[in-house]
Amino acid sequence: MLDKIEIMRMAQGMAAHAGARQATIAQNVAQADTPGYRARDIAPFSESYSNNTSTELRRTRAGHLGASDAADGSEFRMIRSQGTEAPNGNTVSLETEMVKSAEVRQQHEMALSIYKSSLDILRASIGRR
Amino acid sequence: MSDLFQTLSLSASGMRAQSMRLRHVSENIANSDTPGYRRKLVAFEDTLKQGVSTGEVSLGDVTLDQRELKRVFDPGHTLADGSGYYDGSNVDLVVEIADAREAQRSYEANLKIFDQARQMSSALFELLRR
Repeated sequence: MLDKIEIMRMAQGMAAHAGARQATIAQNVAQADTPGYRARDIAPFSESYSNNTSTELRRTRAGHLGASDAADGSEFRMIRSQGTEAPNGNTVSLETEMVKSAEVRQQHEMALSIYKSSLDILRASIGRR
Repeated sequence: MSDLFQTLSLSASGMRAQSMRLRHVSENIANSDTPGYRRKLVAFEDTLKQGVSTGEVSLGDVTLDQRELKRVFDPGHTLADGSGYYDGSNVDLVVEIADAREAQRSYEANLKIFDQARQMSSALFELLRR
């Protein structure tokens, strides 16, 4: 029911995006000393969000045509992140990863706050507090 | 949500690998005066599960440093040859200390990501507690 409301769907997608990005960052940090490893990242949320709202056909049933249901956040495009290469072929920079992880944290908190306050508004509108 | 749990296991694999590395470093330092000891080297590699990369990191096989052993002059030593020299170890303490520092730094980075993922998932649980 709640995923029919656009703002909640957006908040959900944003939190899922933050989670997926955090997993990528964790992978980069874990592999920070593996020879030949290339750092990865996930395309920004603005891209995956605009992709699945503007081009998607409106569906009234789950089985309708209209490609994958990307709103649940399972489909994010993997990109290769920029970085200088160490002598052993590794392109992870721990500093960049830390900055990214702070960004992700902020994004996740923002998404959860939006979700929470939307939930409050919804509760108020049905007369419960 | 499963992404966050995956984050936890990825960071844990990183911490495990770094502490194993530190274990090898301490082995090298402890044996820096052992005659004929060759420095142990470990490289990190991607963990494969049924041929597919899981993204987790693990330690590869241990290899021995093939650099020349240091010749130590000590005619009174039991292992000394006719000219009074014996083979020492090829451990360089400065390199080992630098390696230990790097392992510590990477361990801390993994720990930080782990803690962050934990906080993110508890914030998510907070939604249910209302």
